[in-house]
Amino acid sequence: MLSQALVQDVLYAALETGGDFAEVFVEDKTSSTIQMLGGVVDAAVSGRDFGVGIRILNGVFAVYAYTNDFSRDNLIKVARNAGQAIRGQKVDRTIDLRKSLVTPHHEIKLLPSDVSKVRKIEYMRRAHHAAINYDPVISQTRVNFLDEDQKVLIANSEGLFVEDRRVHCRLMIESIASKGSEKQSGLYSPGAHQGIEFFDDLDIEWYAKETARTAKTMIDAKFAPSGKIPVIIDNEFGGVIFHEACGHGLEATSVAKGASVFAGKLDQMVASPLVTAIDDGTIENGWGSLNIDDEGSPTQRNVLIENGVLKGYLIDKLGARKMGMASTGSARRQNYQYAPTSRMNNTFIAAGNSTPEEIIANTEFALYAKYMGGGSVNTATGDFNFAVREGYIVRNGKIQEPVRGATLIGKGIEVLQKIDMVGNNLAFGQGMCGSVSGSIPADVGQPMIRVSELTVGGR
Amino acid sequence: MEMMQFKDELFDRGRALGFTDMEIYYQAERDTTVRVFKGEIDAYNIAEQAGLSFRGVINGKMGYSFTEKIDEDSMDLLLQEARDNAEILELGESEEIFAGSERYVELHDQAQALRNLTPDVLIETAKRMETVALAFDPRVELVNTCMTINNETELTIMNTKGLNCRTKNNIAIGYLSVVGKENGDVSSASRSEFVLREIGDLNAEELAKNAAQEAVGKLGAQTIESGSYPVILRRETAATLLKAFVSVFSGETARKGLTLLQDRVGEQVAGANVTIVDDPHLADAPGSTPFDSEGMATHRHEVVRNGQLVTFLHNLKTAKHFGVESTGNAFKSSYRSSVSVQPNNLYVEPGDLSLDELIAGTDRGLLLVELQGVHAGTNAVSGDFSLACIGYLIENGKIARPVNQITVSGNFLQVLNDVEAIGNDLHFNGYGRGACGAPSLKIKSLAIAGK
Repeated sequence: MLSQALVQDVLYAALETGGDFAEVFVEDKTSSTIQMLGGVVDAAVSGRDFGVGIRILNGVFAVYAYTNDFSRDNLIKVARNAGQAIRGQKVDRTIDLRKSLVTPHHEIKLLPSDVSKVRKIEYMRRAHHAAINYDPVISQTRVNFLDEDQKVLIANSEGLFVEDRRVHCRLMIESIASKGSEKQSGLYSPGAHQGIEFFDDLDIEWYAKETARTAKTMIDAKFAPSGKIPVIIDNEFGGVIFHEACGHGLEATSVAKGASVFAGKLDQMVASPLVTAIDDGTIENGWGSLNIDDEGSPTQRNVLIENGVLKGYLIDKLGARKMGMASTGSARRQNYQYAPTSRMNNTFIAAGNSTPEEIIANTEFALYAKYMGGGSVNTATGDFNFAVREGYIVRNGKIQEPVRGATLIGKGIEVLQKIDMVGNNLAFGQGMCGSVSGSIPADVGQPMIRVSELTVGGR
Repeated sequence: MEMMQFKDELFDRGRALGFTDMEIYYQAERDTTVRVFKGEIDAYNIAEQAGLSFRGVINGKMGYSFTEKIDEDSMDLLLQEARDNAEILELGESEEIFAGSERYVELHDQAQALRNLTPDVLIETAKRMETVALAFDPRVELVNTCMTINNETELTIMNTKGLNCRTKNNIAIGYLSVVGKENGDVSSASRSEFVLREIGDLNAEELAKNAAQEAVGKLGAQTIESGSYPVILRRETAATLLKAFVSVFSGETARKGLTLLQDRVGEQVAGANVTIVDDPHLADAPGSTPFDSEGMATHRHEVVRNGQLVTFLHNLKTAKHFGVESTGNAFKSSYRSSVSVQPNNLYVEPGDLSLDELIAGTDRGLLLVELQGVHAGTNAVSGDFSLACIGYLIENGKIARPVNQITVSGNFLQVLNDVEAIGNDLHFNGYGRGACGAPSLKIKSLAIAGK
């Protein structure tokens, strides 16, 4: 993408004003989106992103600049301009770039560019047919196919020079049920850090029917009740509760500033002893997995909470400097337009001992959230919220009538302490996580869990 | 490569490949962001970015592609991708390339001062905001984000039908988020403001004081009994709710059969006191523009007049679908996107009452100052929402205490029909086109979940 000699000159130019670390991130990404509405291909866009990000650190001060003009003269100019923000003395140093090879842990067999758009549309059409034929109440479907092929080059003044290739693909299926003027929808979006072969092993019809079933169930559902009640959250995307309620508060971005409720609580009991939580960037072909993070460090399996005790944070290089701790291979960014910062990869609550049947049978009254929607958190206060996509009332140990429109709210640490049952059915769901360094693919996951009390916002 | 030369060469190669009409949409941005933490510059970002969108008609269908690498190699990629993307389209209705409007308004350009703004002024402004917020009250624990941004965006649309539209926009933004702490209770509040002319118009002290005051004001917040309450949506929250459901007014959503207002043009859809306007020529509003993303001249439209739905917002394709004229609301969020529909500056027309008067006129109710998780807790297809929120309990026309750990739920159309009183404090959320604005709105009743 850029020659080693040019990268080296850019790094030298960046350090002319006394910075103690410089980094170059080059990105060349092709991506494609196809949209199908009601079984008809409605829109298609594809293209190429290309840009260079230059970062200079001086202690804990960071300067970031980016450009898509990749000419030698411009890159040197941008590096020097960025350096102007550091008003120090130039230190003589030698940058000795050593090209290192990435060990690929995530096999990519079929690149998106190797597969015709017609083949991608066939996967989409299978999803449409399965959903629309599920039941007459399904009035509309939306299916999107997304793929991207991102090549990165990461080099820094410590001598790192490494290239990697990340391929992501995803199928988003939505079914809409209509009754009179009423509309409800069901959504599923399986994806992976993998080639197009991902879809050959995927039971597309099952996912599509599941979205139709959700929409059909919700159109007849009454509004959820309101108030503080026990809540059972099922596996897969249910893990969004840990992601929002705790994961973001464990990122160096907020911990280093003391702006997180988890700051200064290392080795303290922050959760129920039933809770062990992990962020793992190494899961094979996982949606949020990477060979190396966006600073070029290998990704790791990081234990965040073990049997209720806070064991670690998610840390990038700048966070490491601020906190006096080591990087955990957690630096991520949407693209070259963002400086990297500490983010999650695949974050999950580990499996416990209870079967899902036991959890339901042992519950007198609760809201059961079968599928979760998205949510958000204020890391400073720990206040979180998320939406229930498909919910039911559990009464006397049995799942009863469906309910719609429920939102769950609470505070991160409180909910962690109130988890009183953990299931054995760990599974993952795919999401896009938005934060200071942009929107990135991240897996959430958990087995079924029960929270003794949460505020449910119904109507 | 020089842009005119690139365009001419690209169009020539396109014609040879079988494209009939073609267009480029070129956007270039320069951006400086300064972040300050505890009196020091914490981050300094400089961005220069440009990208080009190509679209062209081939065999009667419109294909799209984009690139950020503007060189000779990219030409063939643009044309091949656009051709392949056109080929797979199955839609009967095709998009058109627009030849241009007769007249375009000239929006006042007074942004010279912002163009010459130095980073030092951005740094000084950010530091001042942080200092003022920290000094406001001993309970202000820290300012966890404090930043200023200066942005310049240039946009050019040129096509083979002779259209040639250009604009240059400047904006400076101040943003801070303040954390308050007392007896182990933690609260936060954020504020942001933009200016389009000069940085001096950004009242940094006022912004910082407001954020600090609200952070401190939220300390000691408790939940309340679940039930139905009269609710005042303070202007930011009213605009947030409008933005979350703005797709109900979109001709694109209507074409897909997915709006709550399907087939209801001409009918009463809101209370008679509600008028909603999209005005692309409004002074000092974030989304003002002389032309839309298809190059059509923009105009002011009443979308809802006295509760009656007057029109959906349209681009050329959705207008053709419904047999009406485009309202000049074609929208591309960036050069990576195809053409969709968005408002320019859509807002609820303000009334006569100040926020204080709205509060004074409320016996017992809630003033909501923050809605959270809007992307997750709203369903634009059904109109239903259920959102975590923060606010104040009003008793006997006065603010009694802060309230949190509650949710507010309802249906967007019901809200439009239950507006009891309208404030005079119109405010826009967000930057750029697609912005939504509202004054504070008093809603007859909404469901609150607490304890």
